[in-house]
Amino acid sequence: MYNTLKQITLVHGVSGHEHRVANTLKEMIAPYCDESYIDALGNLIAVKRGYSENPKKVLLCGHMDEIGFIVNFVEDSGFIRVAPIGGINWVACAFGEVVSENGVHGVLVPNSGTKASDFAPDLMYIDIGADNKKSAERRVKIGDTFVLKSNLTKLNASRVVGRPLDDRAGCGIVLEIAKRVAAEPVADDIYYVFSVQEEVGCRGSKTAAFAIEPDVSLTFDVTGTGDTAGSKPMAVKLGGGAAIKIKDMSVICDSEIVDRLARLSKEKGIKSQLEILAYGGTDTSSIQMTGSGCRAGAISIPSRYIHSGVEMIDMNDYRACINLAFEFIKE
Amino acid sequence: MRLQGRELLEYLCQKFGPTGFENEVADAIIEQLEDNCDRIVKDTFGNVYALIKGESSDRVMISSHMDEVGFMITDIDSDGYIKFSNLGGIDPKVLYGKQVILGNEKTRINGVIAAKAIHHKRREDRFSVTPIKEMYIDIGAKDEDEVKEYVNIGDFGVFNSDFVFFGTDNKYAKGKAIDDRAGCCAMIEIIRRIRENNITLPFDTYFCFTVREEVGLSGARVAAEKVKPSRAIILESTAIGDIAGAPDHKRVADVGSGGVISIMDRSTIYNADFVNFTLNTAKENYIKAQVKRYVSGGNDAGHIHKSGKGVKCVAISMGTRYLHSPACVASMDDYESIRELVFAMLKNMKAEV
Repeated sequence: MYNTLKQITLVHGVSGHEHRVANTLKEMIAPYCDESYIDALGNLIAVKRGYSENPKKVLLCGHMDEIGFIVNFVEDSGFIRVAPIGGINWVACAFGEVVSENGVHGVLVPNSGTKASDFAPDLMYIDIGADNKKSAERRVKIGDTFVLKSNLTKLNASRVVGRPLDDRAGCGIVLEIAKRVAAEPVADDIYYVFSVQEEVGCRGSKTAAFAIEPDVSLTFDVTGTGDTAGSKPMAVKLGGGAAIKIKDMSVICDSEIVDRLARLSKEKGIKSQLEILAYGGTDTSSIQMTGSGCRAGAISIPSRYIHSGVEMIDMNDYRACINLAFEFIKE
Repeated sequence: MRLQGRELLEYLCQKFGPTGFENEVADAIIEQLEDNCDRIVKDTFGNVYALIKGESSDRVMISSHMDEVGFMITDIDSDGYIKFSNLGGIDPKVLYGKQVILGNEKTRINGVIAAKAIHHKRREDRFSVTPIKEMYIDIGAKDEDEVKEYVNIGDFGVFNSDFVFFGTDNKYAKGKAIDDRAGCCAMIEIIRRIRENNITLPFDTYFCFTVREEVGLSGARVAAEKVKPSRAIILESTAIGDIAGAPDHKRVADVGSGGVISIMDRSTIYNADFVNFTLNTAKENYIKAQVKRYVSGGNDAGHIHKSGKGVKCVAISMGTRYLHSPACVASMDDYESIRELVFAMLKNMKAEV
């Protein structure tokens, strides 16, 4: 399970440039689905047909894209100016090792003498070790994307730190569910959606849901926790189990789904906690409101230090998410 | 009368078409395109669609917006001064002392945007920018009743600005509404060229002239749901920073270096394969094109790419200085590059891009 997750985090996939992740996952999920395709925006959609004669359509979604940087100018000096893709915390990324989609390594640094509170794209650049524009342009061109280097590490028996767990952890969970469903068939048609461009406004899941017209959906994404030093009050904590989303800033989840997940958690002895996130949003909202709408819920993976290079999750929570989702689908 | 090239661009730019009142522009486009396409229709929202049938019924959409930034009358006071609100993003610094045309279905009337003159300002306020709510439009009427003989609350306004060609070989155009009548103009010329040369395009191609882009209530959103294209080319104008004092990495693009191809902006991340097809088409046909070097702005692609099951989009913009002012400046060389590039793309488009 950890090895699969690690494998998925190693692939480069900034919003709008997810094709490498899509191709990797397409291969990984192939043995566990009936068919799969990549749509116009780049979403990977895989289907496993159920045994029922009148199957419902259940959509399970995790987003493939990660936040990162896009090259918009190469200076005469060979330094590279970038713009953010998604919610970049510039302080968290400063002095970080970055790598481009084509494997070019570099460091993201601020202009000399810049105060940490002033870190922003106009005062930062990537140094790829090039002496001048010409040599830089041999390796990097406008439109190339960079990310903070992937670096998943086990801290102890259950805790894992690194990036991009947002949201390859969700992709990993959807993949693990696919394995379970293949081993133990369910009545309904299950659509596994690995969506694009969540970090820039939930764009991919909108068109994927439009094409599928699901009856029910579950989204898997990371959520913040209230258990770090100085954190705002929040009931979710690392190791507390699968987080059943009630609401965030973009969505109010279907209350029947919330109740059913809570009941299943109790009945089956799967550790869970209820989540109300006071900031952020996920694909849940775009799926809920696409077409004539669908019943939408979400199971979140509690995560500390989201959007930094040291995102942290607990594999016991990860496992709980898979188990809870599978019980839900089975029912 | 059928106009071409520079005359057509000037004709379209001088039409009265603020956001929400695009009928005059729409009618001009329909008139210019008569007998040139397989079908031309206007929808309830005001968008105009011109269809050129191709070999395959797979659909390609090309879109330019007809609306321009402008004004709406919000109040008329007893002295006959007209309060207004802006339609679309207009810098208040641009407004004071500018000539405008106000109008509705029946009337057009000249006016000027006024505020307290520098002589009447307090010393400390002299060099501050007057907010729009303290400005008014003066149409030379003595009172409210006289104003209301011509225009009323809810009526529209646009900049009144001569269209001028200037610079060496008259290469540059200056005027209002170049954003995005230049795109509309290119589409008309492309449609005519396809017809005059009896060219059969590979795909059914819908030329969409859209409404309400400038306030984000995009007509293109409606158009995309209606056309259901698999690919879309968006023709736009982009603000450009090749101006005095801008640092190199904020210049966006250069006027005169061809159409500006977007990779990412605030509303869209463009399809990489389609962008590469665009750049390669330019290269193979020796047409100038450049990549946009800054992540900024947004356009109708923001709505189009998320419509239906998703649409592969590319945006080609005309680099325009002083955008959203009465004196937008653009290069006619760029206009021609964009027209040639889009024409070449439509002819050579394959199913896989």
